[in-house]
Amino acid sequence: MKQFTTILRFELENYFKNKIFLGITLILVALIAGIMFFPRLSAGFGKGAEPVGKDQPVMLVMPAEGMDADAVRAAFAEAFPGYQVQTGEQDADGMRTRITSGQAECAFVLESLTSYTYYVNNLSMQDSKTSRADEAMQKLYRMDAMMESGISAETAGQILAVGIEHRTESLGKDQGENFFYTYLMIVALYMVIILYGQMVATNVAAEKSSRAMELLITSAEPVSMMFGKVMASCLAGLLQLAVIFGSACLCFNLNRAYFEDGSIISSVFDMPLSLLVYMLVFFILGFLIYAFLFGAIGSTASKVEDINTSSMPLTLLLVAAFMVVMFSMTGGSVDNPAMLVFSYLPFTSPIAMFARIAMSTVPFYETALSIAVLVVSVFGIGVVAAKIYRVGVLLYGTPPRITSILKAIRRA
Amino acid sequence: MKLELKGIQKSFGEKKVLQDISFSAEGGGAFGLLGRNGAGKTTTIRILMGVFPPDEGEVVFDGSPIGPAPSGMGYLPEERGLYPKKKILDQLVYFARLKGMGRQDAVRAVNNWLERLDMTEYRSKRLDTLSKGNQQKIQLITALAHDPQVIILDEPFSGLDPVNAMLLKDVVKEEIARGKILLFSSHQMNYIEEFCDRIAILNQGRIALQGSLHDIRRNYVRDRLVVHAECREKIMADLGDCCTSGEKGELLIRLDSPEDKQRMMRLLTEKYNLDGIRVFEPSLNDIFVEYAGGPES
Repeated sequence: MKQFTTILRFELENYFKNKIFLGITLILVALIAGIMFFPRLSAGFGKGAEPVGKDQPVMLVMPAEGMDADAVRAAFAEAFPGYQVQTGEQDADGMRTRITSGQAECAFVLESLTSYTYYVNNLSMQDSKTSRADEAMQKLYRMDAMMESGISAETAGQILAVGIEHRTESLGKDQGENFFYTYLMIVALYMVIILYGQMVATNVAAEKSSRAMELLITSAEPVSMMFGKVMASCLAGLLQLAVIFGSACLCFNLNRAYFEDGSIISSVFDMPLSLLVYMLVFFILGFLIYAFLFGAIGSTASKVEDINTSSMPLTLLLVAAFMVVMFSMTGGSVDNPAMLVFSYLPFTSPIAMFARIAMSTVPFYETALSIAVLVVSVFGIGVVAAKIYRVGVLLYGTPPRITSILKAIRRA
Repeated sequence: MKLELKGIQKSFGEKKVLQDISFSAEGGGAFGLLGRNGAGKTTTIRILMGVFPPDEGEVVFDGSPIGPAPSGMGYLPEERGLYPKKKILDQLVYFARLKGMGRQDAVRAVNNWLERLDMTEYRSKRLDTLSKGNQQKIQLITALAHDPQVIILDEPFSGLDPVNAMLLKDVVKEEIARGKILLFSSHQMNYIEEFCDRIAILNQGRIALQGSLHDIRRNYVRDRLVVHAECREKIMADLGDCCTSGEKGELLIRLDSPEDKQRMMRLLTEKYNLDGIRVFEPSLNDIFVEYAGGPES
């Protein structure tokens, strides 16, 4: 135990004295502070600025012959509030020149009330102007049809202006609201596991390649060495996350007045405490299970360069879990069969079960079962990894095959 | 104080690496563990240090079996290496603490050793900024700082200049004088001869020879004569195959039996004009070549 605490302290000091570790932490804190203070700063700079509208992009709308240009302009101005809508005669060449030269962003050339051509310089992937233009045109068409049927323009306008009120009450979780912070947490978990796991493996391999291992294996028990390293990286990772999220939380609260209620950023900081606790539990267990294996992989490599190849299967496993969870989240169903299976597999459950808890309603026994499987697996993997480590640190040369490691464990 | 290895056997897979290794070393003396590369020295040391257990046999220190990573032992491995990017004081204190020392004691002991080895000025430097010889002195401190009762030094003199070699010799003599058990493993036979009173020569995982160096030398079959003479060719032509030329121009004459040496010396002195004649005294190198000279494993 004394050796374990000595190793833990030494390894932790290594992290805290590592300039890259400190630099990344400080840069992330500064970046987050910048984001959190941005609304306050922009509000300060925004005073006395030019009135909104002068710099709005220009949209050209060219009605067909016989159309009421004012009505068309009004309909498009209503549909596109961020644009200066200009109407004019149809002049195809002039219109093209204005768009390509940047004087106008886009143009709608109306052939009739039911057909038009949309011109734009570069069509963006997210361009949804045609659907809004379709609505504006439908409105114009209906207005025209109603007026032809003898309904007055005023009545027709009232009929078309009727809005429908609706309310949504989610009896479970609101996936729209939870999506962003769940996404953020899962990305953080994934990044920390990959980064710190690789660091554990690299540290072990570096000790072997520098031959410090020769002295270490005769000075400390391999189990203490591995557990010391893994726990130190887990604590360093947790501390880094705590500093980053803690400073984000502090900056947010200092600038809370500048963020709209219900905005994406507000939703992160209004995360329920229970979810934070689950995050912590899944973070620690998920981290340990991977870090043990990364440590074992590091012990079988003779050179730091071997780590990338040796750790590929483990990294792919985590990437696969990450992809399934991400696709399920964006697909809107986090309770699909793949996610249900992944919720109980120890290598995937830390992110899969967490995503389900955050975005769906999971019975408590399922959560408890998933955590129980994970806890048992952490101990099991820890024991196996320590055995691999004990044998691996003595092996030099080309990285051994799994079968020869298993044989060596059996012999030891 | 006594360190004993009793009937150690070790196999890796089908390969028998150590077979029936038994020897003992006592406090206040140095024991030389010799053997060619791959003879089993490192495996023996690793079993001694508890890195892995023997298949059979046991390692006993003062009557008690030794567990893994024993704190009463100091080890200078042949493959040198510490943390290249870390400060020297930090890593030396770390290794001393792994051996069970408290922080204050570790810092004090490390500082004493840095001073003893003229390395104090480097205490705050990174290891990789030091020369190879100085790095070796730093590594030596990891074997000594926690004041172990058993000190295992594997090729301690390789890479040291004559001044540093002298410094290390003094340190080794001091530790022996303090009653420590020293276990030497080296291919530099002059150092073994200088320090070790007892040796064991390993050959393909077995002890080929062991005992006190004095006894080994005395019991060595005295069946060769060393002759210095101007008329080397004539003697060689007369004696045929039993006469060979030595490295320094001397002649080595192998006798049929050690009892023949007086008769042969008289005969040669009468027949030839000799500059000198004596009975061949084997060096440790000769003994090593004879007993450890099997094929490398």
